[in-house]
Amino acid sequence: MSDVLLEVDAIHTFIGQFHILEGVSLKVRAGSITALLGRNGAGKTTTLRSIMGLNPPRSGSIRLAGEPINGRPAYEIAQLGVGYVPEHRAIFRDLTVEENLRLAERKRGDLAKRSDFIMALFPDLKRFYRHPGGKLSGGQQQMLAIARALVADNRLLLIDEPSEGLAPIIVEQIVAALRQMAAETTILLVEQNFAMAAQLADEYYILDDGRSVQHGRMADLVHDHATIDKYLGAG
Amino acid sequence: MIEWIQRRRGLIAGIVAAILFAVWASSQYEPRVLASILLSGLTLGALYFLVTSGLSLIFGLMDVLNFAHGTLFMIGAYIGFTLYANPRLLLNTLPFVLAFVAGWLLARWLPFSSLPAGHRRPLWVVAVLVGVFAVWGFELAPLATTALSSGGRVPTEQAQAPVGIFIARTLGLAITGLIAGAAFVIGSEHARRPANRDLAWPLGLLALALIIAPLRLSAEGWILALDSNTRFLLALVAGAGGGAALGGLMEWSLIRPLYSRPIYQVLVTLGLVFVGTELVKGIWGPGGYFMELPAWFSRRGPSCPSPNLIAWLQDNCASIDVLGRPFPSYRIFIIALGIAMFIGIAVLLRYTRLGMIIRAGVQDGEMVQALGINVRRVFTLVFALGAGLAALGGVAAAPFLGISPGLGQEFQLQAFIAVVIGGMGSFTGAAMGALLVGLARAFGDQMVLTGIQLPWMSEAMTFSPSIARASTVLIMALVLLLRPAGLFGKKE
Ligand SMILES: Nc1ncnc2c1ncn2[C@@H]1O[C@H](COP(=O)(O)OP(=O)(O)O)[C@@H](O)[C@H]1O
Ligand SMILES: [Mg+2]
Repeated sequence: MSDVLLEVDAIHTFIGQFHILEGVSLKVRAGSITALLGRNGAGKTTTLRSIMGLNPPRSGSIRLAGEPINGRPAYEIAQLGVGYVPEHRAIFRDLTVEENLRLAERKRGDLAKRSDFIMALFPDLKRFYRHPGGKLSGGQQQMLAIARALVADNRLLLIDEPSEGLAPIIVEQIVAALRQMAAETTILLVEQNFAMAAQLADEYYILDDGRSVQHGRMADLVHDHATIDKYLGAG
Repeated sequence: MIEWIQRRRGLIAGIVAAILFAVWASSQYEPRVLASILLSGLTLGALYFLVTSGLSLIFGLMDVLNFAHGTLFMIGAYIGFTLYANPRLLLNTLPFVLAFVAGWLLARWLPFSSLPAGHRRPLWVVAVLVGVFAVWGFELAPLATTALSSGGRVPTEQAQAPVGIFIARTLGLAITGLIAGAAFVIGSEHARRPANRDLAWPLGLLALALIIAPLRLSAEGWILALDSNTRFLLALVAGAGGGAALGGLMEWSLIRPLYSRPIYQVLVTLGLVFVGTELVKGIWGPGGYFMELPAWFSRRGPSCPSPNLIAWLQDNCASIDVLGRPFPSYRIFIIALGIAMFIGIAVLLRYTRLGMIIRAGVQDGEMVQALGINVRRVFTLVFALGAGLAALGGVAAAPFLGISPGLGQEFQLQAFIAVVIGGMGSFTGAAMGALLVGLARAFGDQMVLTGIQLPWMSEAMTFSPSIARASTVLIMALVLLLRPAGLFGKKE
């Protein structure tokens, strides 16, 4: 269980002419949940987008199970088994729940195979199966966004702030779902809600101002109030 | 209830406006006049729709404003007409295109991708030189002239190059394609993907080119000996297919490298309007052509006009009786074509995986990509589809409006107006906008013809034709005032 599935090494990413990531490195072990923490604007979303190939880094390297993936187009990275649950969900609002899920199939029958697992995790999706995604509540949209990443056989899930703007009771549902998912895949989780991240993650990385500044075991960070105050601010 | 009215006030305003207009129009015109205005409007609307549907899909999915869409419409008309009336030009150039593509594909099959990157530029130069040498002295003008154009028709044997030279040129272009293809694949990733290495395509295309080459003369005769209806159907297919191929090529070569620079994309499509127009003038001459109606729509005689649509299926009259007034049957065909295409695209969008990808891509192309779908390939496909629809519209318009290098421009402008009215990126909007603009044009034309009579005026008020044309702009301004994103638009 200790082999490294994802290895990001000193990546530098630009958006336009802005140098956003100035050396981010991290390792995600297979079968674990790794939390990516940091203040607003630290570069967490940009890191996930870099891994996904949506904002390819200009230098540095990204390896998935040892194979370099930086420079490949996003769709190829996805096909290698990386699922992405973006910030603000990015549900296809005019497509039904079913179509949202079907779109994520990489081969015929993916959805049929995974449907029971997904519907057990998020029973609401079954109820609204033929409704447009835009008609769902915020929490249901988040569930749909996560479910979409579960349709294909993904080795690694990149999940960006799944608790954002959701009521505590919904957040609990999502925590439970992520915990079940972690039994089967590997998750790199960006989360502002520290309590939630602390519940779920095995390891953590902290980003500050576009750099990875600290990492370790989540169990240790929980007691390290100095670090929490310094890098995670009011969170 | 009140809330419902507030939410639907756009719809309600639209319905009220439509009813008021209907009441006014029926007081203004006799039913039979009204019917033929409506049918004329539908005819124009169907043609506009063939342009707006592609424009709108292309804009919705890839944010490209394709100013060259009208040019593709015009080129479609020329290709269709050429196949219909004088296939010689197509038969004498098709082998060249096929041979070039065959060479290009063959290059992917051979291990060129491992050549050093420094070979790239010299290879391009060689390719251009070989290509120029292969077609040097090949004349298009005699192939394009028809009896109808001023020069009179040149006999086929004179117009054609001798078969030996022609085959040499064909092979030369295959070699050009091979070299250019080699330059293209150097350092690329094609070597990684054996799926692209299917030999059947390049060899099949080359064989086809070499089969057509000696048969050009007889093939021309065979096509012209077909009855006009079959030739007309072939013209529709050839025009749409040619337009789709050109559109796909255009996206792949000129639009695709510029997705990060949208202003340049717009400039490129604008530039293509001029390039396309000049190219057409260079090949077919600056004058216009008239395309004869196929037999289905051209019979005249004692039993004509056909009393109704069912009778027309039997007697194929040039016009059909609508409430006592003859209406050209060909225009009914255009309306039917527009409706068929509307249903076809709607089904494609609604029920196929490609359609699902397009609808999702209109909302968020990046997310589609992140799900493992190669959106760029879908872009090319949709560009080809949109161009094909426009070109199909061009062929359909040819017997109705005539063919000239300026044919596309009028359609381009009106189609833009229609798309803005309907809402950029919305398929339903594209259809509704086209319909509205078509009807507005038809009513505008009628008002120019007869003026309008308002109750408090003693004489009919008359209009100049330019006001009829401006009426669509007026509608656009009104719609945008009420709904800034257009009738069905969601994007700004
Ligand atoms: N499109 C953009 N243009 C310019 N700067 C951006 C853009 N997107 C993000 N940034 C900047 O990049 C930095 C990192 O952003 P982000 O990765 O979204 O942070 P986080 O997800 O940690 O809140 C921020 O300072 C933000 O202002
Ligand atoms: Mg973020």
